[in-house]
Amino acid sequence: MVRLASLTRREVNRFLKIPRQTVGAPLLETFLYISIFGAALGSRVGDLHGYEYIVFVIPGLIMMAFAINSFTNNSSSILQQKFQGAIDDQLSSPASPGQLLLAFTLGGFLRGLLISVVTFIVASLLVDLPVKHFYILIPALFLVGWFFSSLGVLVGVRAEQFDDVSFAQTFILQPLIFLGGVFYSASLLPEPYQTLTHFNPVYYMISLVRYGFLGVADIRIWIALVVLTAATAALTYANYRMFKSGYKLRR
Amino acid sequence: MESSAASSSGPSVPALQITELVKRYPTGVEALKGVSLEIADGEFFGLLGPNGAGKSTLIHCSTGLAGPTSGEIRIFGHDAVNDYREAREAVGLAPQELNIDWFLTVEETLDFHGGYFGMNKKDRKERVDELLESFSLVEKRNDRTRDLSGGMKRRVILARALMHRPRLLILDEPTAGVDVELRLELWHYVQQVNSEGTTILLTTHYLEEAEQLCSRIAFINGGEIVDHGSSEDLAERFGVGSLEDAYLELVGRKELSRAHVGAEPESESEDSF
Repeated sequence: MVRLASLTRREVNRFLKIPRQTVGAPLLETFLYISIFGAALGSRVGDLHGYEYIVFVIPGLIMMAFAINSFTNNSSSILQQKFQGAIDDQLSSPASPGQLLLAFTLGGFLRGLLISVVTFIVASLLVDLPVKHFYILIPALFLVGWFFSSLGVLVGVRAEQFDDVSFAQTFILQPLIFLGGVFYSASLLPEPYQTLTHFNPVYYMISLVRYGFLGVADIRIWIALVVLTAATAALTYANYRMFKSGYKLRR
Repeated sequence: MESSAASSSGPSVPALQITELVKRYPTGVEALKGVSLEIADGEFFGLLGPNGAGKSTLIHCSTGLAGPTSGEIRIFGHDAVNDYREAREAVGLAPQELNIDWFLTVEETLDFHGGYFGMNKKDRKERVDELLESFSLVEKRNDRTRDLSGGMKRRVILARALMHRPRLLILDEPTAGVDVELRLELWHYVQQVNSEGTTILLTTHYLEEAEQLCSRIAFINGGEIVDHGSSEDLAERFGVGSLEDAYLELVGRKELSRAHVGAEPESESEDSF
């Protein structure tokens, strides 16, 4: 327990040490989105699913902040420690592969959680944000955070240079998230884009989180939860296998 | 010696016992070709060899940073692969590279390390205080490691390796590229640690260093242990004046011997004085 706690403390310590970059910047970014899409453009867009546009867009922004911060934290932290060689300190310790994986995953998860909670609190002060299905919202956000934390671990371990990490973020993550329907409802899209969206896993995440907050969804909630749970479990298992074999970590 | 007999429990288990260790990297390079080695509890053991001989690979395999292809490594009787927890708890590693995290302070570096090894908070605190004191790092306690000088970083790495009170300390070229002052300082530290009962495995390029510190020495070349013994032993056996000549003979570079350097006519005339 001391081992896992120390390994996790190290990851949290890292992002709390550079708060401008790891907490300040993402919060500012989220509030810029809220200002632009909510305050400036929102009045022109009109209601979506019976909600003011600003209220409609906030659940997606909270989810996006969770996802991107979890991912970025873990991929950067692991790659940076690999570069410095500092990760050998953990790898030559008696910590098990499971403990190492859990701690690295938790680092990004906790940063994503911190930022989404702050975003939620501030957003609640600005607008009247409902929470319709609390018991769906919590597992949905948990799965989103865990999925992207795990993805960050995977990319960080596999990466050999910083370009690999920023490539994954710019060319895979951002398009998936932006096209998943953070800023709009997929039902507004013309074909074939509407059908294509259904192949984007982020679409299901956003739908779940939006359902948790607003109670509206154009997909089957239980199916989305099951699929997301399965995907997250599979990714976690793949990471575990990777840590156990020492792939790209041990020589 | 009475002191070492008192510190070891029961019949002495070797600190490190390596049997037929082979390490082949995915690239096909065979860094270790069946190495066997035994280091007794309390010994100060030197592993010498040129760059690329397999010194670091041997250390990586013993500390879990690399997986052996075949063969066995036992640390105080614990298998380094299957009982990795017990084996790694017994080992402290001071690697060749200054691999400390730039973001952490000196205290955090030591504290986290202690945590990875399962030390509780109170114990960590006490041990950190103790180590900062003995490594003259007290004033640097809250400095980020990135702001330290190279010499300070070396000390932090050694302190970190000792943090969890290992029974076997592995030093991978600790004095590569350090100035004379720091080298001597490090020698004093490690000699002190050894005299307190910790077994030491030291790899180095500096034969003088091995001669000074180590009770026993092994030469590694091309992934194989080519000879071992005490330094006098080796020099005597090879019928040469120094350990360095024995070393050169073993790595097949006899022609580089210092005996040939400056062996010009004028040096002969100097001799006649």
